[in-house]
Amino acid sequence: MAVTKKTNKQLVLDGLLSENPIFRLALSMCPAVGISSSVMNGILLGIAVLFVQVFSSCTISLLKDYIHPRIRIPTYTLVIATWVTVIDLVLAAYVPVAYKAMGIFVKLIVAFAIITMRLEVFACKNPVVPSFWDGVGMGTGFMFGMVTLGTVREFLGTGGLLGHDLIGTRPLLFFILPLAGFFCVGFIMAIFNYVEIVYKRMKRKRSIAQ
Amino acid sequence: MKQIIRITIGLVISCLVAGAVMGGVFTVTDKAKKRNEHLAVQETMLGLLGYKDAKQVPADLKLYSIYRYIITDGSGSQYLGYLVPVAEGNETGYVLLKLDLQGKFISKKNIDISPEKAREAPERESALKAVLKPPISFRYADEAIVATLGKKRLAYLLPGEFLGFKTTIKAMLALDPSFGIVGLDILEHEEDPGLGGEIEQEYFKNQFKDKSYDRITKLKVIKEPLPDEYKKYLEKSKWQKGAFSKEQIATIRKKYQDKDIYAITGATISSKAVTDGVKGMIRKFAYRMGKLEAVIVNEKIPAVFL
Repeated sequence: MAVTKKTNKQLVLDGLLSENPIFRLALSMCPAVGISSSVMNGILLGIAVLFVQVFSSCTISLLKDYIHPRIRIPTYTLVIATWVTVIDLVLAAYVPVAYKAMGIFVKLIVAFAIITMRLEVFACKNPVVPSFWDGVGMGTGFMFGMVTLGTVREFLGTGGLLGHDLIGTRPLLFFILPLAGFFCVGFIMAIFNYVEIVYKRMKRKRSIAQ
Repeated sequence: MKQIIRITIGLVISCLVAGAVMGGVFTVTDKAKKRNEHLAVQETMLGLLGYKDAKQVPADLKLYSIYRYIITDGSGSQYLGYLVPVAEGNETGYVLLKLDLQGKFISKKNIDISPEKAREAPERESALKAVLKPPISFRYADEAIVATLGKKRLAYLLPGEFLGFKTTIKAMLALDPSFGIVGLDILEHEEDPGLGGEIEQEYFKNQFKDKSYDRITKLKVIKEPLPDEYKKYLEKSKWQKGAFSKEQIATIRKKYQDKDIYAITGATISSKAVTDGVKGMIRKFAYRMGKLEAVIVNEKIPAVFL
């Protein structure tokens, strides 16, 4: 892929929908399946990923000319690990309230596929500004995916949202078990694919009509 | 060959830079981080004793720390060294009680250190070094806190750590004077959020409340769904006014007091790890405290918490 021609707005929108990390790129499935059992988890992990993704993308696109191509993957891992550690320490020192809620999420991120992949596919070939917006798009896209999954699973599993009871009963306890993560990801992925097919069909019809 | 050297150098430099950045941030943030941790521990301790904010804390509530050290003498035999706070007139000082591994009293030495200074590990070490001269060596083992209210012994507070599903879990236990559990709080852990991470939720950790010492020694984890009324009762911070009448609280408490621990759905290993960790902490502490107390009484040590 050469230097991107997309506008910044397009980059963010792509990350949210047509290149959504969870439902379209199928990256970082472990957290998507394991941790999406409530909306709050989704939001917190989403924020953590957003920050690490943006910082790492910017760092790599700044350093891309100095990285030997054969050691790029270890370098990405180093950069991600550094940012994760820095964010973790800074939160613990200056924002203890946020650290209490987000600490365990931040530490999980080092091994996330989505971040390494975006560095490999995008940040190492593009200048800083598009890389920044790509990071923002991917981060919010990931958060959007996690929140969607969390909403479905928490509502069906516990009958509430964000810890508040809404309907008073627990319809299907099955949905908060890890296993249900697979089903939910699968079904939402199917919806995304279906929408894409319909969208393409409409587009083709329109071009024929013209 | 040339490429290998370039790659090696490149990688070494990246590692060095990354290390330097992490180290730099660590040095800058370390002090603030430690202070936050200390504050969090203080808050947890008061919370476990039932005081939600600093205003409710009565003036005669005192927290005294007992520090345990392992002492090794020149010939390699090991002893236990307890730093026990004692009353000296109106002041509080410390004595070092040296016990053998069976808990028999060996010697007693005065340590020149104030309780405020004793909180800092390096200060304690230098004070101990003044009495325990080489070839005798010593190392820190753990700490237990005795909370007293006036003349009455209110509770023991035990900071401790044990192995969880992924890494160690740091926890704080509050015990009544007969070693029953008053409360449990999880200070730090790295379990998976949503699964093992649920150990810090009230519906799990509050299950340990009100269990007597005899019950704890036989405590197990059961894989049954947590009953709804019990879950509501455990989530104390979500209680609305008048959600439970006094009689209801008493019945629910009585009904579940002797139950085993209900495992977290999807995190049986973490649930088991916490249960076993808590059991181990209490068993060891009760044993040690028994031995130590016998020595304190026999040797007529003027310990502050007697």
